[in-house]
Amino acid sequence: MTASLLTRERGTRRAPGYPRPGSRRSGGRLAGRLQRPGMWFALPAAVLLVVFFAYPLATSLLQSFFSTKGGESTFVGLDQYLRLFRDPLVLKSLGTALLILVIQVPIMIALAVGLAYLLNQAWVRFRSGFRLITFLPAITTLVAYSVVFRVMMTTDGGALNQILGVFGAGPIDWLNNEWWARVAVIASITWRWTGYNMVIILAGLQAIPPELYEAARIDGAGRWQTFWHVVVPQLRPVLIFTIVTSTIGALQLFDENFILTGGGPNNATLTPVLYLYKVGFQQFDFGYADAIAWMLVILTAIIAVIQFRILREKP
Amino acid sequence: MRTHGLTFAAIVAAGALALTGCAFGGTAAGTTHTLTSDGRATGKITIWSWDVAATALKRLAKEYESAHEDTTIDVVDIGYDNAYDKISVGLQAGTGLPDMITLETDHDQGYITQFPKGFADLTPVLGAEKADFDPFKWAAGTDKDGQLRMAPWDSGTVGLFYRTDYFKDAGIDPTSIKTWDDLVTAGETIKAKLGKTLLTADLSAGGPFGMMLQQQGHGYFNDKGEITVNTPAAAQVMTLLKTMNQKGLIKNAKGWDASVTSAKDGDSAVTPEAVWWIGTLEGEAKELSGKYAVRDLPVFDDQSAPTSNNGGSGLAIPTQAKNPQLAADFMKYVLADKTNQASMMQKEGLFPAYLPALHSDFFQQADPYFGGQKVYQTFAELTPKIPSITFTSDQSAASDAITNAVGAAVLGTTDPQKALDDAAQQIATATGRKIAGS
Repeated sequence: MTASLLTRERGTRRAPGYPRPGSRRSGGRLAGRLQRPGMWFALPAAVLLVVFFAYPLATSLLQSFFSTKGGESTFVGLDQYLRLFRDPLVLKSLGTALLILVIQVPIMIALAVGLAYLLNQAWVRFRSGFRLITFLPAITTLVAYSVVFRVMMTTDGGALNQILGVFGAGPIDWLNNEWWARVAVIASITWRWTGYNMVIILAGLQAIPPELYEAARIDGAGRWQTFWHVVVPQLRPVLIFTIVTSTIGALQLFDENFILTGGGPNNATLTPVLYLYKVGFQQFDFGYADAIAWMLVILTAIIAVIQFRILREKP
Repeated sequence: MRTHGLTFAAIVAAGALALTGCAFGGTAAGTTHTLTSDGRATGKITIWSWDVAATALKRLAKEYESAHEDTTIDVVDIGYDNAYDKISVGLQAGTGLPDMITLETDHDQGYITQFPKGFADLTPVLGAEKADFDPFKWAAGTDKDGQLRMAPWDSGTVGLFYRTDYFKDAGIDPTSIKTWDDLVTAGETIKAKLGKTLLTADLSAGGPFGMMLQQQGHGYFNDKGEITVNTPAAAQVMTLLKTMNQKGLIKNAKGWDASVTSAKDGDSAVTPEAVWWIGTLEGEAKELSGKYAVRDLPVFDDQSAPTSNNGGSGLAIPTQAKNPQLAADFMKYVLADKTNQASMMQKEGLFPAYLPALHSDFFQQADPYFGGQKVYQTFAELTPKIPSITFTSDQSAASDAITNAVGAAVLGTTDPQKALDDAAQQIATATGRKIAGS
């Protein structure tokens, strides 16, 4: 009854009778190994992996130890990594990421779970229509929706302020006030990504066997108790997935902030990737930009591992 | 299974190292082709530019093509907002740039020092005419070895554009305004009587801070390369902007298009802007003909100049250009020619950095758009009064810090002096430069 995606996956891989790769022939030499058809099938993928993943990764890591100022690369060792600790903008951009992580991600996941649960109920009419509407934001391009949000949030004559004006409120200086700029960013990314997470959670909900609901009903559980004690535990693996991907998304946020606010005012919405972009492509300090990128890689890995650990443990 | 994985990893790692080893090392240098100035090249070139500059090049390209056989010149308007991203990426990648690009004067030193092999030496093309060019512009485009990398094109002399109709309706004599404080007072009257803001500025991009600072004789750095963004003069500028914004006199327009739209819509009474704004107005806001006039800038005190510099641009030939010789020939045709320079002033409002052009009859003429005012003469008289300042390779980092300081102090609640001190500290951390006087 432990219908976790993770364990199920592991189970199939170790299924008895499945031929173990490499068990039929002995010999460890590369030439011998390349005769195996499997290696040839893997070759195109391996070449692509080297060219488009390994090479840029290795180059950026190498470059992070070089200062590329003044048109020349000089080896500076760990200097740029030490500079990260002295740079107030690194801290500020991480603060933005943390804010999104702590405020936006929980709101969005809660919304997505709620919506998915609702749209999975048999009594809701036009379910597929609602599901489609909720998912639509996820298929619009990042740039297009950011531009639309920017127009809507214009201080003079923007749609949002016009609506507020009808109720006698506002106008709010959405994009030029430090506090409201953060609200604007959080609102727009929530709009964009809630439907996406909802669809994943919906798939998880539909994988819950109906017998469980039946058993809960026989045991006398109410709607709310069923939700907390049957649905949520069953959704655990799906929730882990959405939370971890949303966390990575929060740390890598760029498009929305770049187009909506450009990171301002006064760096209030500066994200680490936006800062990286500014340092690299506007100030030509590519080595330092690479150091920021690798700091982000390490941070993301640490946070993801912690989340997996916490969320995996059984209550 | 385990050794299998290791072998695979080894192949990947070896491949990655091999690739990295041969390609790492920054900007790829193009062929060191030495340019000449005989003007007999043929073929096709592509040029990147924007706004009125692109319009001017397109017009002159047609004339050049008909005068020179077998030449094709393709001018692409890449738009201002993403221009520098495209140029930077092309330079860093060593590929993807056209045969000639436009750059603004305050970006020159940043690009020259960061990409010393990125631009062709233009001395063989224009060196003979050096004495005919504005020395400030020539110096800004020259590298530390004295080679010209960016050819001077137009100047960015600043004046105060104002709506004569608004001042008349508000009952204010524009010539009575001496200082910025006088202008603020006038702005309050205009706002009360007409409901118009005093000036439109893009505060999210720093607004007129830089040009007002230069009016006081300061740049972001002094001639020793030390940071000078937190001087008392700078605090005075920041306080002025904050006061204006608090009184509701600034219309904040985000981005270039918003600034132009705001002018078209007639939001504000004045625009402190460089001479090239003439071209933008005449090109984009024809319907406002007869409603504008130009004068010198209000001052802060006896020490500040009645003008400043904002932008102005140049032309450069990337070393990755496919047909650099034709680019050089066309550059000489455009820049070192009295008639063509005067025509760019007349048609597109690009104020020549090529001095012989200033003596052409055109500069004595009245411009009907400005109600018959001799606007070019106004700017010609102001040009020698521009205070010179030092541009460094860290111009971009400094202007980024200043943009944020304007955001913090003018749009936010931070004290102007504190915002500037923070900015100075930030530039110091990012560039390793000293803060002047510390």
